Amino acid sequence: MEPLDPVDSPVAQEEPPAFVSPGDPFLAPGHSYASVTRDISGTVLRKTQRGWWIGFAVAISLFLVLNFGITLLFAIGVGEFGINIPVGWAFAITNFVWWIGIGHAGTLISAFLLLMRQKWRTSINRFAEAMTIFAVMCAGMFPFVHMGRPWLFYWLFPYPDTMGVWPQFRSPLVWDVFAVSTYFTISLLFWYVGLLPDFATFRDRAKHKAGKLIYGFFSMGWRGSARHWKRHEVCSLLLAGLATPLVVSVHTVVSFDFTIAIVPGWHSTIFPPYFVAGAIYSGFAMVIMLAIPLRKWYQLEDYITIRHLNNMGKLLLATGMIVAYSYVMEAFMALYSADKFEHSMIVDRFFGGGYGVVGWILLSCNLFIPMTTLWSHRIRTSTVGLFIVATFAQCGMWLERFVIIVQSLHRDFTPSSWGMFYPTPTDWMILFGSLGLFLTLFYLFARLLPSISIFELRHLVHRTAEEAGVIEAVEAE
Amino acid sequence: MNSYSPQSLQYEPRGFQSKALAVGVVCLIITLIELFLHPTQFFRSYLFGVVFWLGIGLSCTAILMLHHLVSGRWGFVLRRSLEAAARTLMWMALFFIPVVLGMRYLYIWTHPAAVAADPILQQKQFYLNTPFFIIRQVIYFGLWIVLAYFLTRWSGEQDKTANPDLVKRMRNLSGPGLAIYGFTVSFAGFDWMLSLEPHFFSTIYGMLFVVTEAVGGMSFITLVAYFLSKREPLSEIIRPSQFHDFGNLLLVFTLLWAYISFAQFLIIWSGNLQNEIPWYVYRINHTWATIALVLVIFHFAVPFLLLLQRFVTFRRQYLAWVAGLLFIMSILDLFWLMMPSYEKAGPQFYWSDWLALIGLGGIFLAIFSSQLKRKPLMPLHDPNFVGVLQHE
Repeated sequence: MEPLDPVDSPVAQEEPPAFVSPGDPFLAPGHSYASVTRDISGTVLRKTQRGWWIGFAVAISLFLVLNFGITLLFAIGVGEFGINIPVGWAFAITNFVWWIGIGHAGTLISAFLLLMRQKWRTSINRFAEAMTIFAVMCAGMFPFVHMGRPWLFYWLFPYPDTMGVWPQFRSPLVWDVFAVSTYFTISLLFWYVGLLPDFATFRDRAKHKAGKLIYGFFSMGWRGSARHWKRHEVCSLLLAGLATPLVVSVHTVVSFDFTIAIVPGWHSTIFPPYFVAGAIYSGFAMVIMLAIPLRKWYQLEDYITIRHLNNMGKLLLATGMIVAYSYVMEAFMALYSADKFEHSMIVDRFFGGGYGVVGWILLSCNLFIPMTTLWSHRIRTSTVGLFIVATFAQCGMWLERFVIIVQSLHRDFTPSSWGMFYPTPTDWMILFGSLGLFLTLFYLFARLLPSISIFELRHLVHRTAEEAGVIEAVEAE
Repeated sequence: MNSYSPQSLQYEPRGFQSKALAVGVVCLIITLIELFLHPTQFFRSYLFGVVFWLGIGLSCTAILMLHHLVSGRWGFVLRRSLEAAARTLMWMALFFIPVVLGMRYLYIWTHPAAVAADPILQQKQFYLNTPFFIIRQVIYFGLWIVLAYFLTRWSGEQDKTANPDLVKRMRNLSGPGLAIYGFTVSFAGFDWMLSLEPHFFSTIYGMLFVVTEAVGGMSFITLVAYFLSKREPLSEIIRPSQFHDFGNLLLVFTLLWAYISFAQFLIIWSGNLQNEIPWYVYRINHTWATIALVLVIFHFAVPFLLLLQRFVTFRRQYLAWVAGLLFIMSILDLFWLMMPSYEKAGPQFYWSDWLALIGLGGIFLAIFSSQLKRKPLMPLHDPNFVGVLQHE
């Protein structure tokens, strides 16, 4: 039998000598393997805090609102949404694109930054991945409830049925089914593989019998042998390689849902890279919005440092600049095209009576506020400032999808077929209810699983110690 | 690591510079004959050559700013070559003047008669008119030269004073610099290339132009690194692991190029609208289709598969071959983007196209080489560069 990892074993729990790290800002000084393990698992393996119960109650109330909205919808039909011709796609599709966009940052952080050997990803990747999975779950719900006859959803899949009917493979809606389900599968696998060593840590540290059993079951017999680690390493790298192109492909396919049509405002060649950048932008905004309360409530300031926030703020700025670039290109090309439909679409987007105001709110939330403030180092390193900017960006990204979808549809080529869309209470219930679903899942995650990857933090401790030349102090544990 | 003195890291052109200059001048003089015989053809050939070589200088400036922003290990050994390429912009700007002088041979929207007969061109006159075109060029070149000037000047100062603040200063310029670069180069792409066919429009075109140039620039700089690393002491500094990093960057740019090109194609093909589709109709028909296919295979498929192999990226000779292939393909790509605007029936062989390209290339390389020898080949006093040497 292979030896146990000394830190995973319950025996090695007495306080080891702390060493002084060389002030690496990705990890506060003075941490050792054991202190990292104790701090992170301490957020889970303890009595449930009252604050958690309050938050969870709020989340689950919102989730109940979602259930109520969906029950109405299924009982009455999609007429419960405010949609009608010409606006046949509205809130549900907006929410779908928004949530799937949020679900991009997690895999980007864990896969792309892993391949780029960026070590600052270590303490944010776990909860960002969880966020990805929950966001994709929220997103996946929307096409389903929008279907009208959701019990026939399996018609989306190509299977040899007795009717001989196949999906239209030239439709990007079918590509979406494959893109999103592949993305979900890979993200889930990636997350689970990353969790394996930490499940084993929890199994060994859990005091409760049920905890030992459940964490033990999910740790799949992990003993931390060299062979396990080797397989784990190879598996993570392969999954990262697979997941990175998926980050790009999913939102590209989502953008094809619009660009393949010829509706002015939808048919624009810049949409694929613009949607991907916008997705990462909103995803990072969400990571920031989750990281700041998480580090505060669970006292994780040593692990999610100001430098992490600064880096995320920079990434928010970079992707936001690509979004800004795309806005400029869209507006310029609409003017340059000398195409009267393109031209009137862009004029209506910002000066029209229908959704012109929404257009300006969108620009303020997405461009004017974040793109002016995020250049400042002081804003990027202030938790309150960054949180507010990220919230603006998040709202801006929802409005952006709303404007693209609804404003483009509401005035097409023929004035006689123009019409407005107004959201119904059910629309609002399902939008805010989906936030409830997301938050409920996230609260459960924060309660039951390590929000920060313990084994990767130990690795960071090791590397930091090695660089500082105090590795003996850590290894002597 | 201090065994490297600035003297030992001095680039010696060994006759390369004068040879390049001679080839460049001779080729350009021969091309000038065409100015008197067929001025239209002369200016088309000249535009093709000057856009390509300007693109190398421009994209190297962008890669330099990217390096300052992320301070990746790969950038330190490339920095001096990138700076030399960026500084060519100051001289190549002069070589852009003939394009302005020959505008009426190049762009149909400069002809009042053509505009009067075409309502679409009339509506585009707010942007496509000669004075505004010239003002825009002055703005673009002004901004690019300012960026290139300060980035290279501060780097030179760092060699003398080893002032660590300069690292921060270069980084602070690079963030806004890249944003300025993205916008100006996109609009330059509209001016130089997109307006050759003034009816066509595509919102991704600017990005496509930026990435097309980036493939050319990155393959150029990889080839430069290969030739420099053949001699001592650079053969010890530019290690295989750094060539691996260059290979990864080439892979990223190649993938981006393929992604953007395919996105534009799929969207326009499926929309099939009369304003957009003609641009592709003659680019994927007749003999142009063969060039398009060659691009798909040798600008994407083959380099993509090769750059994924570690035995290619870790060996400098192999990587140099792939970079050479991509360099030639980025010339062909520019040819395919530009020339069908004039030759709709299929590519024609005009000797002046290639002579102008070689002539301007010779001059570009001569300027590049003269800039490269002004400073030691490695930024020895950059605090981060010290770390690069120690890690090897």
